[in-house]
Amino acid sequence: MKKIFFLVFLSTVILGACGGFTTGDSDSSSDSGGSEGAEAQDEKIVLDFWTFWGSEQRRPVIDQIITDFNDSQDEIEVQHTYTPWGDIWTKNLAAIAAGDPPDVIINDIMTVKLRAEEGQIEPITEYVDEEVTGRFYDQMMDAATHDDEVYALPFNTDTQILFYNKDLFEEAGLDPEQPPETWEELDEYAGQLDVQEGDTYERIGFYPLIGAGTDVWILNALGENYLQEDGEVLVDTEPVHEAFNWILDSQEKYGQNQITSVNSQFENAQQDPFMAGDVAMMVQNANYYVQLRDFAEDLNFGVAPIPEREPGNGNTSWGGGFVAEVPMGASNPEASYEFIEYLTNYDAQLYWAEQNFDLVAHEEAGVSAAESGEFTDAGREVYTQMIENMDNTLLTPQPVIAPDYAGTANPIFESIVSGNTDVESGLENAQSELEQLVEDNR
Amino acid sequence: MNRKKENLFGYIFISPWIIGFLALTLGPLLFSLYGSFTNYNVVSRMDFVGLDNYQNLFTNDNLFWVSLYNTFYFVIFSVPLTTILAILISTMMNQNIPGMRVFRTIYYLPAILSGVGVYLLWMQLLDPSTGLVNQFLALFGIDGPNWLFDPDWAKPSLIFMKLWSAGGSMLLYLAAMQGIPKTFYEAAQIDGATRVQMFFKITLPMVSPIIFFDIVTSTIGSFQIFQEAYVMSADNAGAPENSLLFFNLYMWIRAFNLFDMGYAMAMSWILFVIVLLLTLLNFWLSKRWVHYEGD
Repeated sequence: MKKIFFLVFLSTVILGACGGFTTGDSDSSSDSGGSEGAEAQDEKIVLDFWTFWGSEQRRPVIDQIITDFNDSQDEIEVQHTYTPWGDIWTKNLAAIAAGDPPDVIINDIMTVKLRAEEGQIEPITEYVDEEVTGRFYDQMMDAATHDDEVYALPFNTDTQILFYNKDLFEEAGLDPEQPPETWEELDEYAGQLDVQEGDTYERIGFYPLIGAGTDVWILNALGENYLQEDGEVLVDTEPVHEAFNWILDSQEKYGQNQITSVNSQFENAQQDPFMAGDVAMMVQNANYYVQLRDFAEDLNFGVAPIPEREPGNGNTSWGGGFVAEVPMGASNPEASYEFIEYLTNYDAQLYWAEQNFDLVAHEEAGVSAAESGEFTDAGREVYTQMIENMDNTLLTPQPVIAPDYAGTANPIFESIVSGNTDVESGLENAQSELEQLVEDNR
Repeated sequence: MNRKKENLFGYIFISPWIIGFLALTLGPLLFSLYGSFTNYNVVSRMDFVGLDNYQNLFTNDNLFWVSLYNTFYFVIFSVPLTTILAILISTMMNQNIPGMRVFRTIYYLPAILSGVGVYLLWMQLLDPSTGLVNQFLALFGIDGPNWLFDPDWAKPSLIFMKLWSAGGSMLLYLAAMQGIPKTFYEAAQIDGATRVQMFFKITLPMVSPIIFFDIVTSTIGSFQIFQEAYVMSADNAGAPENSLLFFNLYMWIRAFNLFDMGYAMAMSWILFVIVLLLTLLNFWLSKRWVHYEGD
């Protein structure tokens, strides 16, 4: 008898739990529908806008832009959903598959073509006009276009430049207003800036792989990406050989241990060797200026384009960035576009640039920002350098033909740099592996 | 009659798990089995491609083999080392010494702390120049390795790190050891057995079911290593030189960076078969060394 009671009791609990879930769900959905629907939703289109900008620095800026947009018209109401960096794109993918995506999302510019190919983005070609496409740097607009369809509008970007310590230049008898222009000059200056103490270096004049990676130097040496959009592979070529040999020569001079130790100091951010004067020159993302501004107020530094492999080869640099796009299946692409257009207009872009010291995709807004009263003299100088450097800056969108090319090439490049493979056979190997990859995907 | 009722209650008691499995796990499981025979990309494509994914994996994908090698390497070293260490710790923790509770807490503590925060902490500890580990080694004049930055040391670094949480399974061993009847040891003592003999002849056989359980579950768990590599490799993709490209990390890259979901699903089924076979092997071997009381 007792057992039967227990059984009944248990099944009631289980049923109750199940029932609880259903009523709870329907309650909450009617709740949210009700509160919004009653007042605003009748007339207004509500857009859900996903970004990963949740920091104290960025969130107020994007929220202000959204508020401005909401106030500028009365048909669309944009709501901001902050989704952490680690989740945002996988969540977006799942939301698209479930048929309930955000209306606008900030996404990676390097993978627009891939996502377009996979059917994750609504094309916006029909809404875009020439005034809009003309706003942005050409290479950014190219990265946002796939098979003649526009899939996104660029929002912000970045670029790699040379940072150098002017005080150390003077100390070494170099002209602080004459930064090195070629790899040869870099080596020469580095020799003068080095401070050697026995076997180790107290100060590193310049080592290519502090701040920048091999990919930047390959790009700088070639003047184009080593994997072309059509699948041509340029790894086993004279400029790339030269780049690796140059890196290895410099590594031999300083010694691998010292390099690792300096690089790990940058990585764990406890003590920045450039700020401390232990590194005299380095190629870095220009946004590094913000750290110098905040943590090394007194550092007397200069900025310059990345030196070229040889005179006339070009100061090619590398950039990335983010776009605003409409995920596939969004309920009102036209309204979404209207907001994206606003996000990338002159005023919003200038505001973003000034508040965040971030290089924006809007060319004119960038030019205005470079003269902004919000920045210090040094800030204006760096921002001007950033804008000018966009002429040298290439983006390397993941080619649809072999989106995972870096996963194949990078380990080989790493093994050349670590000395486990020699340059000749390493590059030959990388060349054939990449060609094979392209061949398999055709 | 009574037996029937007992069965019924048994089913009721395990019903939450069964319902959960049928409703939440079985569906996705079967879906991924089917998906592994397609070129599924999550949003717009799911055409049947037969065994193409499996064929490509085995014949045409270096990274698949690299990731498989890395994963086996990790399992082969990590599982025995953590098991042995856990047994050693629990033997030590099983002594009757004042203040033992404090030590037990200390050794168990790392099992509570887990996840990304711990990995970040270890990245600091293992930092080649400023990390405490290398600074400690330097006291003895040892020039510590570059740990996570050296392809030859990256996997050992992770295995070394995992040892830290061996205290987690200590709890199981300790419980089993305390359940061993004192009379066994008293009898052995009378016969003149040494402590070492007692450990190998009494303690180990008596806790062997727990060792077996621990080995099976930690083998399965180790094959699924992902977070550690994702967080601790410099490019989140297995650097340096793919030495941290574990099976699940590669699967994740395939699925969510390259949107080759069908391919990734095929990978997950290959891992499933590998783990299943190893578990069956473990069960078969267990007959030779696991002793259940009452057998």
